[in-house]
Amino acid sequence: MSPINLSKWARLKSPWVLHFNSGACNACDIEVVALLTPRYDVERFGILLKGTPRHADILIATGPVTRQAALRLKRIYELMPEPKFVMAVGACASSGAPFKKCYNVLGGIDKVIPVDVYVPGCPPKPEAIIYGVTKLFEKIKGGS
Amino acid sequence: MKEIAIEEEIIGTLEGMLGESVLGSKSPRPRRVYIHVKPAAHKRAISALLQAFPSTIISTITGIDLGETIEINYHFWCGKAEVTIRTNLSKSKPEIETITDIVPGASLYEREVHDLLGVKFANHPNLTRLLLPESWPENSYPLRKDWNPKQTGEIHDSSEKTLTIGETRTESNGGSLVNVIVGPQHPALHEPERFLFKLDGEVVVDVEPRLGYAHRGIEKAAEHLMFFQDVHLVERVCGICNVAHTTCFCQAVEALGEIEIPSRAKYLRTIVHEFNRIHSHLLLLGIAGLEIGFESLFQYLWRDRETVLDLTEKLTGNRVMAEYSTIGGVRRDLTPILGDEIKKKLQKIRDRLSFYKEVFQSDPTIELRTKGIGVLSEEKALKLCVVGPVARGSGVKSDVRKHDPYAAYEDAPFKEILYKDGDSWSRFMVRLEEVGESIEIITWAVDNIPSGPYRIRVPRRMPRGESLSRVEAPRGELIHYVKGNGTAYPERVKIRSPTLANIISFREMIRGCYVADIPAVLASLDPCFSCTDRMVFVDEKNGRRWIWSMNDLKARRRDS
Repeated sequence: MSPINLSKWARLKSPWVLHFNSGACNACDIEVVALLTPRYDVERFGILLKGTPRHADILIATGPVTRQAALRLKRIYELMPEPKFVMAVGACASSGAPFKKCYNVLGGIDKVIPVDVYVPGCPPKPEAIIYGVTKLFEKIKGGS
Repeated sequence: MKEIAIEEEIIGTLEGMLGESVLGSKSPRPRRVYIHVKPAAHKRAISALLQAFPSTIISTITGIDLGETIEINYHFWCGKAEVTIRTNLSKSKPEIETITDIVPGASLYEREVHDLLGVKFANHPNLTRLLLPESWPENSYPLRKDWNPKQTGEIHDSSEKTLTIGETRTESNGGSLVNVIVGPQHPALHEPERFLFKLDGEVVVDVEPRLGYAHRGIEKAAEHLMFFQDVHLVERVCGICNVAHTTCFCQAVEALGEIEIPSRAKYLRTIVHEFNRIHSHLLLLGIAGLEIGFESLFQYLWRDRETVLDLTEKLTGNRVMAEYSTIGGVRRDLTPILGDEIKKKLQKIRDRLSFYKEVFQSDPTIELRTKGIGVLSEEKALKLCVVGPVARGSGVKSDVRKHDPYAAYEDAPFKEILYKDGDSWSRFMVRLEEVGESIEIITWAVDNIPSGPYRIRVPRRMPRGESLSRVEAPRGELIHYVKGNGTAYPERVKIRSPTLANIISFREMIRGCYVADIPAVLASLDPCFSCTDRMVFVDEKNGRRWIWSMNDLKARRRDS
């Protein structure tokens, strides 16, 4: 196995995620946390929620981007080591949804940082988020 | 007609004490009193109210742009009724004397009005930005009607620069204070907030919260949507206590339009509201377990919480965002089969509750990490006007369901849970026992639900007027104030969430605690944002700077 394939294989077996809320209403956030609890238990896929961007492969971003959180979101993304992937979880994170025209909201996550997978829903069910992660795996597998 | 007497008594007392300063008074609904006073007489009116009703707490301050003038409404709960003291300011020079010296709990509300409407509160100790970003331009106030949406300013890094990292002060005894910043990024969940802790060694001396990372501008957005559309918008104020928000908003609009909803709808609202409370409390207690390093408790509680989410989904169609209440009733009906299932499944949670109670009462980890820590005395709780389980943990009677009943709570059999100690442990216990009471309420409501329609048709246009609605959200008293102007669009929607009322007490609780207690105390306050994620510690003496992650903190906690 070449070193590139080896690192890709390892990445697929232990995708560590970081969660950041850039102005969400907490609904998506509690669904992301629910993934870790016994019913969904994504740890069986090697997915661990980490506390610092430096340990994370995947950034799970929820909520529309507010003016105050925008730069913080960007900074967190920059702190993550390469290769990094971003999942926008929820309708707000995907497009800004009902808050699109609010004065303190810039829009979806992709206004600030590039997004790999969008998981729509208000909030998406934990099953949908797991499906989003598997889609991301396909992307990691397919890419170099 | 005992209720009417109370309102008349309040109006009579205040008119007697204030004399000519009162411009008008009314009481359109039971337990709601509006008193209009002359400009600059507001402070005298509030002192009079405090004198006549010593247990008065401030609910919120609403500012409304009326075109020529700005109307300031001070909402107080005086133990028997919600009293609104109103005064008008000229828009060209909106300035008013602060009331923080007589009501310390008003501090954040005054800052909010200052931030969004540009009202100057003279002599306020710290009239700085509360919600808007630091990059927001001066003299641009989004809640004013003539505000130009283009005046939002460029985003720049000034908010990060205002962090006074490492501003160390040398004390007279030779010690030095170190600033510690907590937030806004966080490993587990919760809203992004930022706290600036001032430390003397390991001991927290002071804390300053910076809110607004999740400020979206819903109050302004609500003015541009019709009432029935706003129901969906306010649902998304908070994803955890969404049922409380919609119920509160619908009640306010129904009161405005003088709509009487069917009694079956009231019972259904009660059932979903209590589901919401159980799920929120179990969520919080799980987080509390996580924060004090008791992860199995977190996993257990969240497993049991799934049962409630399943029931919510079966009844409303959604796991989290219930979208259940609507103006004129609720969206779906309860079938008898589902009613039986609800009772059966809740019985299981009731059995589990006794186990959790035993854990909280006897586990040494929980005792060491929460008992006697983060104490908020009853007197302070009253002074800072805290609400919900935080107030009840300090022995302050504050349950809106009991004292200002709405939906079907008037007849529901339940106890108001009170603990006297005011420490983190009491606040957790209040929530744990409230889950039991919620189960009682739901079982009672399912058994006694009246038959009939669950929704009525309502007009889109609402009459001119105003109404204020209170509900007991899982985190405490939630207030929606709605002003109608005769069209299908509201003139003003004001939302006061319970966390804003409680955050001010965090300073009181955390003073004198250790750094390692910050997560547990903040969790006991409420985790609409819990805390510690990444802290920047700066030691000014040798210029060293280092970063601790949540896990480092936990490890440190274990060592000590």
